[in-house]
Amino acid sequence: MSVEIITYLIYLAISIALTIWVAHTLHKNGRVFLVDVFHGNEQLADSVNHLLVVGFYLINLGYVSLALKLGYNLASAQEGIEALSVKVGMVLIVLGGMHFFNLFIFSRMRRRATLRHAPPPVMPDAFTAVREA
Amino acid sequence: MASLIVLYDPSCGLCRRVREWLEEQPKLVELNLVPVKSDEARHRFPQLDHEPTLNDLTVISDQGAVYYGPKAWVMVLWALGRYREWSYRLATPELLPTVRRIVSLISQHRYQISRVAGLAR
Repeated sequence: MSVEIITYLIYLAISIALTIWVAHTLHKNGRVFLVDVFHGNEQLADSVNHLLVVGFYLINLGYVSLALKLGYNLASAQEGIEALSVKVGMVLIVLGGMHFFNLFIFSRMRRRATLRHAPPPVMPDAFTAVREA
Repeated sequence: MASLIVLYDPSCGLCRRVREWLEEQPKLVELNLVPVKSDEARHRFPQLDHEPTLNDLTVISDQGAVYYGPKAWVMVLWALGRYREWSYRLATPELLPTVRRIVSLISQHRYQISRVAGLAR
């Protein structure tokens, strides 16, 4: 097996393992957030959680697949490791970006849900009797 | 709090335009717009002094809490699904004085603004 093929295989193994690990973390810890957002409706929370994770996998694996091609030949194992490091680094940054984006979505959903039941922002100036219309 | 009654000035074009805009907005709390100093306003709030309601926007909750001027505007935003977040921002001690200044400027010059904007009848 040439250095290129070995590099590709290691790249795929690391990238896919990382994606699975991050998606798993997201899935496990995002659930608590979503259950809170949907006021204890666990079925809905699980459904949204699953849909989010599917999107996460699609985008990340899509990126991993697109970024696979090296475009030049590797002369030595050292070059192979260097190329691998660049590729895996890019995958890590994309994963990190996606992860923070997901956190942002979770926190925004949660804020919206809490706002819905939040009390008025100001105290009244006075009180008066109200008659029915 | 299930609903808010907004006492607005129907003789001001800007206020009528805002009323139309309010009617289109998605609401978290029901908004009922009642003309100021109208029979309906006097009937619903028999103990309220209706004189100041002509100078400042007045909002009254279904439980009788009265909000004038800047607080009334903040309460209207609070009732709207898209702007509830803004109502909390504007109600902070840092921003409320600015809101008070802008709101009182708009209220005092609402007829001129309506004329300039071509909203007068």
